[in-house]
Amino acid sequence: MSAQATRATDPAAAGLRFTGASVGYAGRPVVGSVDLEVARGRFVGLVGPNGAGKSTLLRAVTGSAEILGGEVLVAGVPLAGLTPRDRARLVAVVPQSPPVLFAFTAREFVAMGRHPHLGSLEQLSAADDVIVDRVMEQTDTARLGSALVDHLSGGDLQRLTLAQALAQQPELLLLDEPVSHLDLNHRLQVLDLVRDLADGGLAVLGVFHDLDLAARYSDTLAVVHDGGVGPHGRPEDVLTSGLVREVFGVRAVVSTDAVTGTVAVTPIMREATGAARDRGRVLVIGGSGSGARLMRRLVLDGYEVLAGALNHGDVDQSVARALGIEHVELPAFGEVEQSAEEQVAAAAAGCRAAIVAEVPFGRGNLGNLRAVVGAGVPLVLVGPFDAGRDYADGQAGELWQRALDDGALPVAEDDAAVRAVAAIVEGSARS
Amino acid sequence: MTAPARTRVRSAVALAALVALLGIALLAGVGLGAVSVSPGEILSAIGRALRGIEGPVSDAVIVDIRLPRVLLAALVGACLATAGVLYQALFRNPLADPYILGVSSGAGLGAIVMIVATSSSTVLRYFGVPIGAFVGALATIAVVVKVASWRGKLDSTSLLLAGVAISYALSALTSFIMVYARESMAAVVFWMMGGLTSASWTYVSVIAPMLLLGLAYPIMQTRSLNVVLLGDERASQLGVDVERFKRLILAAGSLLVAAAVSVSGLIGFVGLMTPHAVRLVLGPDHRLLLPASLLGGASVMILADLIARTVLAPVEIPVGIVTALAGGPVFLWLLLRDGRRS
Repeated sequence: MSAQATRATDPAAAGLRFTGASVGYAGRPVVGSVDLEVARGRFVGLVGPNGAGKSTLLRAVTGSAEILGGEVLVAGVPLAGLTPRDRARLVAVVPQSPPVLFAFTAREFVAMGRHPHLGSLEQLSAADDVIVDRVMEQTDTARLGSALVDHLSGGDLQRLTLAQALAQQPELLLLDEPVSHLDLNHRLQVLDLVRDLADGGLAVLGVFHDLDLAARYSDTLAVVHDGGVGPHGRPEDVLTSGLVREVFGVRAVVSTDAVTGTVAVTPIMREATGAARDRGRVLVIGGSGSGARLMRRLVLDGYEVLAGALNHGDVDQSVARALGIEHVELPAFGEVEQSAEEQVAAAAAGCRAAIVAEVPFGRGNLGNLRAVVGAGVPLVLVGPFDAGRDYADGQAGELWQRALDDGALPVAEDDAAVRAVAAIVEGSARS
Repeated sequence: MTAPARTRVRSAVALAALVALLGIALLAGVGLGAVSVSPGEILSAIGRALRGIEGPVSDAVIVDIRLPRVLLAALVGACLATAGVLYQALFRNPLADPYILGVSSGAGLGAIVMIVATSSSTVLRYFGVPIGAFVGALATIAVVVKVASWRGKLDSTSLLLAGVAISYALSALTSFIMVYARESMAAVVFWMMGGLTSASWTYVSVIAPMLLLGLAYPIMQTRSLNVVLLGDERASQLGVDVERFKRLILAAGSLLVAAAVSVSGLIGFVGLMTPHAVRLVLGPDHRLLLPASLLGGASVMILADLIARTVLAPVEIPVGIVTALAGGPVFLWLLLRDGRRS
């Protein structure tokens, strides 16, 4: 029974379906109980830490890893029943390109993708040549035609490998880190192309390390970790800071990219690097991103960091949340009112030092400044204070001056502030 | 003209040139020697022999002595060069060669065992020696690959070391058999020294069908040979049944080596040099590399034999010495160049 016939009778067949599948090597499973479907016209991204088995899932589809249980269907046909040749007409792979040691021309290399469509003695026909020309055009490799592949850069080779895979005219395209060697422009170009092909009916399953790209191009994200395929769904539902922390051990801010509207993951720090030392508590008064760098630096340096009042959705608030920094959360555009101010003052009182980041003060956040200036804690003030920072009719300026009179330390920028805090903490420890 | 069309024209020109070179080599091989014969005389002598017409005494020299020897040289060269192409593709290693991999020694041992075992019958020997050589070659390549990939990865160094080590073991066995079976020693030594001195139409009739048989599968699989150069996993992704393909190609290579060894003993480096030179000029595409190496190997062997016969005439040196003198430095150059690259 040919694969073609089966597809013809079952037009709704998925490009790829794992049903309770377990895959691995030498009889030992790497990933188990996998239920995953890649329908035609869909782009599914696989993310997960190194060694989780993302590539193993792909390799099971190409016959290089074993299917130890369950079922894997390609275009409705069980994989086990396909010869390598039949399979190569349905499934093409873009692996992480190893170097090519033999001096084929780029065009000869791409034309090898026609291999499964040709009989033993059959030569490439004019129709095959047209296909080869087209995929080289699509992947921006036409100009490389007579270049020798053993001398090309990793990026060129990667795009040629994609061209080779497309020359197979597959129903299902598997990508294993398809853009790892590419510059930014070609990265987007390649993924835009794959996205277009998916929109044209190709089923795509891609392994990604770059979470932003995975989120940007995939219809569905599936997380591979702990020997299984975890939650999968729309990228914005799957990618949360909690998941990034649990799966990758990284504290990250997960936000919506303002321009593309897709999920963007900004890693702040590795889980393992924090809490190495306990150098005491430090309070950071920030907002609008002015405190983000300070908070991260201080956490990495081993301080227990607290933050003042921050508005929901503010950059500093996202960073504080990702870092697990205790803070007073205000509603978006909410003001620091009496109760919040008291909470911040109480937090400041328990700290070894407090830093006021280079943030402008207006009526909304003046309470933050008032809370630390009166708290009797050593203060470090970042940046010059001029008219451009005072939107509170001079009240902020007055507070600033009072703090300086009380002995607060003015510094020019964040790094100097961190050094100043270290000096304060060490000084008070010695005395 | 489009790129594919240009490639096809280039291939046709290259193959035509190699056919012409082979023609010239054949005429030179038959024509030069203790008595020189002009190309015209060669062709008319062959014409007379084909029509069964009695000719001058020189006809016998041409048709019964020179012609089978030159044809045998061509066939041996074609077998060795083609086997070299196959091994180099399969192991993705330009240093692979039947002699270096120990396959020639294995075929030699198999052949010697059969020479000793079939001392009673010429007919048995006619069929037995090639079969023994084939079995010896096949068993050797299986063992070499097994030993070389013992630690998991089949790299150049382990492949070469395994080949050399197993060659030594096989040589020891060969010597042992020679000492043990004294009564066959003359036949064995004569064969081992052989080169092409004992060439005859009988030998030509042994090797020709083996060459055709050994060539049949590879010549249909030149595209697969290309794809396999990208690595086993990639080849499988592009639709090659890699395990089956490797087994059949190794069998074909062993048959070609057995054919050459059965009639000419151990001749090294032709299988190494020829494909490499062809690849340097024409590129790695097996659709061209395989036939071009076959033709090139035939010409190289004819010329090597011509040198062996004429350089110290009337003394004849074994052709294996000529190929080793030419091929040894090439092997070293490849080895040093590859070493520097990695």
